[in-house]
Amino acid sequence: MNTNDLIDNLAAGLEPVAPLWPPGKRAAAWSLGAALYVSLLVIGMSSGGTGTDGAGAMFWVPQIAAIVTGLVASAAAFASVVPGLPKQSRAWAAAAALVWLGTLVVASPGDVDWATVPVASHEWICVGVIVVGGAPLMLALMLMLRHGAPLSPATTAALAALAVGTLANVGACLSLPHANGAITFAWHGGVVLALVVVAAVSGSLVFAWPARSRSNDGFTRNGR
Amino acid sequence: MTEPNSPIDSLGELMRAAQQGDGASYLELLRTITPRIRQVIRRQRGFAGIAEVEDLVQDVLLSVHTVRATYDPARPFGPWLLAIVRHRLVDGARRYARIARREIHADEEDVTFSEPEANDDISELGDAAALHEAVRALPEGQRQAIELLKLRELSLKEAAQVSGTSVGALKVATHRAMAALRRTLGKERE
Repeated sequence: MNTNDLIDNLAAGLEPVAPLWPPGKRAAAWSLGAALYVSLLVIGMSSGGTGTDGAGAMFWVPQIAAIVTGLVASAAAFASVVPGLPKQSRAWAAAAALVWLGTLVVASPGDVDWATVPVASHEWICVGVIVVGGAPLMLALMLMLRHGAPLSPATTAALAALAVGTLANVGACLSLPHANGAITFAWHGGVVLALVVVAAVSGSLVFAWPARSRSNDGFTRNGR
Repeated sequence: MTEPNSPIDSLGELMRAAQQGDGASYLELLRTITPRIRQVIRRQRGFAGIAEVEDLVQDVLLSVHTVRATYDPARPFGPWLLAIVRHRLVDGARRYARIARREIHADEEDVTFSEPEANDDISELGDAAALHEAVRALPEGQRQAIELLKLRELSLKEAAQVSGTSVGALKVATHRAMAALRRTLGKERE
């Protein structure tokens, strides 16, 4: 099909579309849903006591940093699927993640025995909460992001994983008691990092331009 | 294309109408932006042939169509379109590199038979001096490609390392050089 025929076909088959909400508004909508979901998760898991018993600033500051990271990362993810928007929000998300990890390091006791951190097997529950508990959040976010343009699939997926991972991490921290910031840093930070890496590597599987059928110049995926 | 007050920004109005289902506005929009898209692609992919350029143009048009909901009428149209063009160009380059990696380059083998009339004219020994002159007359990049791939018989990967160019660029240069040599030597035979 030549280009002129393609243009005629696209115009002839045009259907109205509703412009997407601005990234900030979409991120706010997802974050609201995520907040409700994490709250329910915490309430459901903390019937036998929570991780916030007697918690002070050393506990709450990392949680606030994680929430901020999740919000900024989700906004950056939504911005990354809109062509022509500035890319600074990605740097803000990365900076927020570093601050969150930094607060966990600061919250670690000075005499922590780092050798015991990797063998803190009870943290596998947190891993489960972050990965499995975060899955519905990730699914919702992916579905929302797929309405945008798959400009940078790896970046979009990584930002989405960062947003989900940090917010799910808050759920795990609030519902389960933790020994200290060092363990949270190593286990929660490690899981979130792993999620980000896996998402970045597999991002192009989720976010891709519809495949083009060379025979009829139509789309064959996503029903677009 | 990206200046805030450039004519392309008025296309934002057409896109807004297109988002509401106005086919005539959309047709006008696509017809207006297509030459500009083609121009950008030609500038970025100077070595691409006409078919490859048109393929990329069509990729961009289909992408614009797919993600037209992401255009915010409150924002300028130019940066939105240009971002799509740039990303599709990068995707196109990756696709090209992927295909080049999988391709096995095979020269056409000419079969030589004992009967002279069974052989085509390519397998005949031509005028070595004329060939030498024709190779010398080639542009630098094409001459280097011929020397590395055809005379020194390096693989595409080795030739790319030696010349400091990509495999794709070498293939294009070789293809053009061979066409030029055929033209030159053909004229001389006539």
